[in-house]
Amino acid sequence: MLLRALISKPVSRGFSVLSSLKVTEHASVKHAEKSGHAPKCENLSEAQTAFLDRVIRVDQAGELGADYIYAGQYFVLAHRYPHLKPVLKHMWDQEVHHHSTFDNLQLKRRVRPSLLTPFWKVGAFAMGAGTAFISPEAAMACTEAVETVIGGHYNGQLRNLANQFDLERTDGTKGPSEEIRSLTSTIKQFRDDELEHLDTAIKHDSYMAVPYTVITEGIKMICRVAIWSAERV
Amino acid sequence: MLCRNILRKGCTSFRLYHPNPIEHVKSHHIKPLTYGKESPQYKVLSLALEQYVPKHGFSERSIVESLNELGYPSSMISSISASNSPSFFHSSTAVMELIKFQLVDKRYRLTEAINPDVTPQYKLPSLEHLLLRRLEMDKPIGGCLSELMSQLAIPSGFLFETAIPELHRLSDDMIYFSNEKDHHDSAWYAKRLAVSSTYIGSKLFMAQDKSHNYKDTFDFAKHKLNRVMRLGEYYNNTEEFAWYTLMSTVNLVKSQLVRG
Repeated sequence: MLLRALISKPVSRGFSVLSSLKVTEHASVKHAEKSGHAPKCENLSEAQTAFLDRVIRVDQAGELGADYIYAGQYFVLAHRYPHLKPVLKHMWDQEVHHHSTFDNLQLKRRVRPSLLTPFWKVGAFAMGAGTAFISPEAAMACTEAVETVIGGHYNGQLRNLANQFDLERTDGTKGPSEEIRSLTSTIKQFRDDELEHLDTAIKHDSYMAVPYTVITEGIKMICRVAIWSAERV
Repeated sequence: MLCRNILRKGCTSFRLYHPNPIEHVKSHHIKPLTYGKESPQYKVLSLALEQYVPKHGFSERSIVESLNELGYPSSMISSISASNSPSFFHSSTAVMELIKFQLVDKRYRLTEAINPDVTPQYKLPSLEHLLLRRLEMDKPIGGCLSELMSQLAIPSGFLFETAIPELHRLSDDMIYFSNEKDHHDSAWYAKRLAVSSTYIGSKLFMAQDKSHNYKDTFDFAKHKLNRVMRLGEYYNNTEEFAWYTLMSTVNLVKSQLVRG
């Protein structure tokens, strides 16, 4: 049993969990080092703060949702299909790490959490558990749809962070502040993790889900509406 | 149109992303004011607040006397009021600016010396300490508190753009700079609302308080904060118990299903 669990574990697991820990730690250490007498950046504009405010809020809500979706899937599938247990556990662990990272950022940067948080919790758990009840393939299709939308959404944020945060410093140079760099590397790492989940879902036959188009397109639409409202409310 | 404008302004002033202060140049302005500590407006208004408001209340006279003492002509009063839209009930816009100034400046002064990035959690002041200190700051203007509160509570653009956002910013600051536990979900809102209501309740009490050195107000504030926090505890305990019951029921059902 133990041997089976070990074999079915994805090869990249240990590596990827460690690397995601490493990136955030690395960024925060660098951040502390730089805080001394380094040249200062200009203040962020209204639009830039507004954007960052939305980024932290929506990403926190999104990772909370992902955490609860996997909780729902795990709740239903872990005992019925033991071969999926380590796969789901691995993805869930990563989501828990993402969730706590954004929780910390939310408190540190004093962003208000989404007002609809209780609704996201219930909705995400219901979505995870609901698709898992249909079939394990449907659960994987759900993962695929969610991770596709989240991957695209993170990419949009990264594009904005790369384009719009060329801050001027007191010594005449230009470039993003350490805070923005650290946020960018965190989001990059998380996007890669999410896309790895997408691959995992496809590997585990998400295409075999029975009303495949209905499930994936429906969930994609729900995710887009959720992103739109979590940014604002 | 006016409603939308007020809503938009109110929403943007609720925006709370705070970039880390170490990496950025210190802002010249004390947001949301449009001037900093070095500016003549700041000097005029702080002098008016310290010396003349306790005598003349929140009125144009306090500002004019402060202008005269600093050697400015009285007509400068029009430039002080520049950033406020005219009020609904014909209160002078300069007085509105003075009121706004006293809210914002006292909020900043309350937490100026505290840096939660460096100070360990257990060394930060308690929420109660900050609340009482903020009330203490209003002791000198105790006589004009009812006038101040009624100015702030009049339904107008000022209420939505300044009074309410300032109140919530104050409670957000009190929670962030104290050793109070902060939250990631609706408790974030609930705690801030509770602190805001405690503060407003104590302030209204203070406006009517005749006891020596506002002793009753401080007792009231302590007691009210204590009660509000206890209410939060009741809710948390109930939720925890409900969650525990739900989980044990689910596990019981699961184990029965496994037995067949």
